Amino acid sequence: MGILELLNFYVIPGIVLGSIYALGAVGITLVFAILRYAHLAHGDLATLGAFIAFAVVTAVGVSPYVALPVAVVATAFIAVGIDKVFYEHLRERPKIITVIASLGIALMVRAVVQVVWGVDSESYVRGISRPDVYFGLRIRDREIFTVLAMLAFVGALYVFLKQSKWGKAMRAMSDNPNLALLSGIDNRVVVMLTWVIAGGLCAAASVFLGINTELKSMMGWHMLLPMFAAAILGGVGRVEGAVLGGLIVGVAEELSVLVLPSEYKAAMAFVILLIMLLVRPTGLLRGKVL
Amino acid sequence: MAALLSMENVTGGYGDADILHSVSMSVEDKEIVVIVGPNGAGKSTAMKAVFGLLNVRGGRTVFDGDDITGWSPNRIVQRGICYVPQVDNIFREMSIHENLEMGAFLKKGDLSAAYDRVYELFPDLKERRKTMAGSLSGGQRQMVAMGRALMLDPKLLLLDEPTAGLSPKYMEQIFQISRDVRDTGVAILLVEQHAKQALAFADRGYVLAAGQNRHEGTGADLLADREIAEMFLGG
Repeated sequence: MGILELLNFYVIPGIVLGSIYALGAVGITLVFAILRYAHLAHGDLATLGAFIAFAVVTAVGVSPYVALPVAVVATAFIAVGIDKVFYEHLRERPKIITVIASLGIALMVRAVVQVVWGVDSESYVRGISRPDVYFGLRIRDREIFTVLAMLAFVGALYVFLKQSKWGKAMRAMSDNPNLALLSGIDNRVVVMLTWVIAGGLCAAASVFLGINTELKSMMGWHMLLPMFAAAILGGVGRVEGAVLGGLIVGVAEELSVLVLPSEYKAAMAFVILLIMLLVRPTGLLRGKVL
Repeated sequence: MAALLSMENVTGGYGDADILHSVSMSVEDKEIVVIVGPNGAGKSTAMKAVFGLLNVRGGRTVFDGDDITGWSPNRIVQRGICYVPQVDNIFREMSIHENLEMGAFLKKGDLSAAYDRVYELFPDLKERRKTMAGSLSGGQRQMVAMGRALMLDPKLLLLDEPTAGLSPKYMEQIFQISRDVRDTGVAILLVEQHAKQALAFADRGYVLAAGQNRHEGTGADLLADREIAEMFLGG
């Protein structure tokens, strides 16, 4: 097999899939770092975002790229709402209670998606998209948009966390919650911002998954393990780590087909997660150990 | 003139058990007051009581004319008391400058005067303002922690064992900086394990034992008292 074939059939799809995982993993890593629990509803919340975009696409007849911002904003609001209605009351209880509650939310959100949109596969756009060829590399427009959008979203988040007052407050709350509270940082605002970002980005992840493949009511749930693997691989609390982790998991899943039957593709994330937790639990970029 | 801070017969603890039993102490304007005593005497607890981190069941705390008993730490910070915990008192993954910025989170408007004031007290920090606080040595971390607390321009600074785990050289430096801070018009109440050195440097001291007042006086008087020396200061 030539190098071009390797790039075209494994690495490029891996980078696209990895960018999608990265968008989800960033939210998981922020929730982990600031709220300190694993959010198991992240995947199904993402599914809801993808179907909100689908509703806009079918109702208004626009392209999924136009529906994307609507889905991002709507899912951000829904994430804040879920926190206010469910998780907020559990804040003082042991974290495992919130983790299990989030599993319940995952089932609830999935049920809503299945009741409203059914359990069959859907597509944003019918028909086949042909790749363009750049120096022998076969790349589709939607693949370029996926990677660029991921970089833009994550870049904007990075600048927000580094430069803005509330972005720094989020980092402070992740770093040392007691001292952040002693400094007068309002935890409620930080928690709300965390859900806006996590909710918005997971919607973006699954809209791009829908653009590149198809929409299914289980699409987000199936992304959950790779997204967690990406967050832990990169280091919990590290935005740039989640991106790196997402890309590694995405490419590893695609490459695994070379040596394993393709049914085992999804197991790659699990293998990476296990190895990382055993060998280097802080992740590649020295995150938190929870 | 009334004291800047006065604790009057404060009783309380964490949860339901009382650790402090009718403890009283006061701090005057621009005074350095140290709390010493054996382990488990309630020294840090007394300080936390001032800062609203304790369930206070009796007595009251008056600061600068206001009864602050039962106030939230947030409100107390805005009223002019800043607190430096003994451990985990910096943001490790943020730069020195960002640590100071977080200290002034509640302050509106231009912070440059506050930065200038803190960097003047801690010239070492100014040179390394972009350095991650977690990579600093213990003494420098303590300076970051104090600098963070000073950003809101408090009238009273609470320091919980600022020299714990520091070398004698850094201990002396922290004491010297505390004097400099006092000279800018800030009163300091601190808890110390190194009782002898702390009493020698403070204006006044309180000796606590078993959650109660035992002795009080000027640092020099307490140091000269044979009974105190034998009981608490290791002879």
